[in-house]
Amino acid sequence: MTAFTHFLEMGGYARFLWPAYGVTFAIVFLNIYWARRLMAQARLEAKRRLIMREELALEETHA
Amino acid sequence: MSWTWFHRLGSPPYVFRLAQRLVPWFGWAAGLLIVAGLYDGLVLAPPDYQQGDGFRILYVHVPTAWLSLMVYVIMAVAAAVGLIWRMKVAHAVAASCAPVGASFTAAALATGMLWGRPMWGTYWEWDPRLTSELLLFFLYLGYMGLRSSFDDVQRADRASAVLAIVGVVNVPIIHFSVVWWNSLHQASSVLRLGGPTIATPMLVPLLIMALGFTLYFVAILLVRLSAEVLRRERASAWVKEALAS
Repeated sequence: MTAFTHFLEMGGYARFLWPAYGVTFAIVFLNIYWARRLMAQARLEAKRRLIMREELALEETHA
Repeated sequence: MSWTWFHRLGSPPYVFRLAQRLVPWFGWAAGLLIVAGLYDGLVLAPPDYQQGDGFRILYVHVPTAWLSLMVYVIMAVAAAVGLIWRMKVAHAVAASCAPVGASFTAAALATGMLWGRPMWGTYWEWDPRLTSELLLFFLYLGYMGLRSSFDDVQRADRASAVLAIVGVVNVPIIHFSVVWWNSLHQASSVLRLGGPTIATPMLVPLLIMALGFTLYFVAILLVRLSAEVLRRERASAWVKEALAS
């Protein structure tokens, strides 16, 4: 445990070092989240448009 | 020389499928490299003789700062290709780069500030390196703002491409700012004439992290590019087939 707390202290730089790593990895994970959300939205929108087009084509054949 | 590969990269369905297939490879490779780099950088690398353990901020600061520049260059080159060859996919690449590049720039600035406080005694100084990096952040934001001000995608592509290309002059200014001016920022210890001056046990984790972050960027770019291509091409026939898989 002492070795681990020693590691966490980072030679007295803990209060600068860990926030730096925290900010970086927050941005890393946010980018993953944003990119996946963008893809999910694009898929949903494209699917919606496909359904709309198929319904329109159906209406035309019935008319 | 055969140009078929270049023409294929201009085809949205080809790019969409290729991107979808490549994402897991880049993503997992990036994840493994970053975990290995973290262990090597935080645990195995020896402390610096001047900066103690504080120098370890390097392992997140340098990869994000390096990517903030590389992503801008990719964005500008893609924008230029889009403008010159009227290649829609190239414009989509440029548009996908901007938010990721902006986020890396923010990370580089934040980690740099947290490094500057213990080493220089200040979070911020209007120093050439810091100021030009901040300008890079505003260039990314300006690019994104300009794009979102157009309803028409093609007009957004053309206008924002010009801004991206003009802004690229800032990249060498950032890189050489520590050489040209008397900067508070330390000079480059890896990408310099005469080879790296950083000790090998400190350099290896840095290279692992830099490679890991680069592959991570490619994975994110491919996901964003897929979404961008899908959004632009939603009226095309290939989309139905692509969504089914």
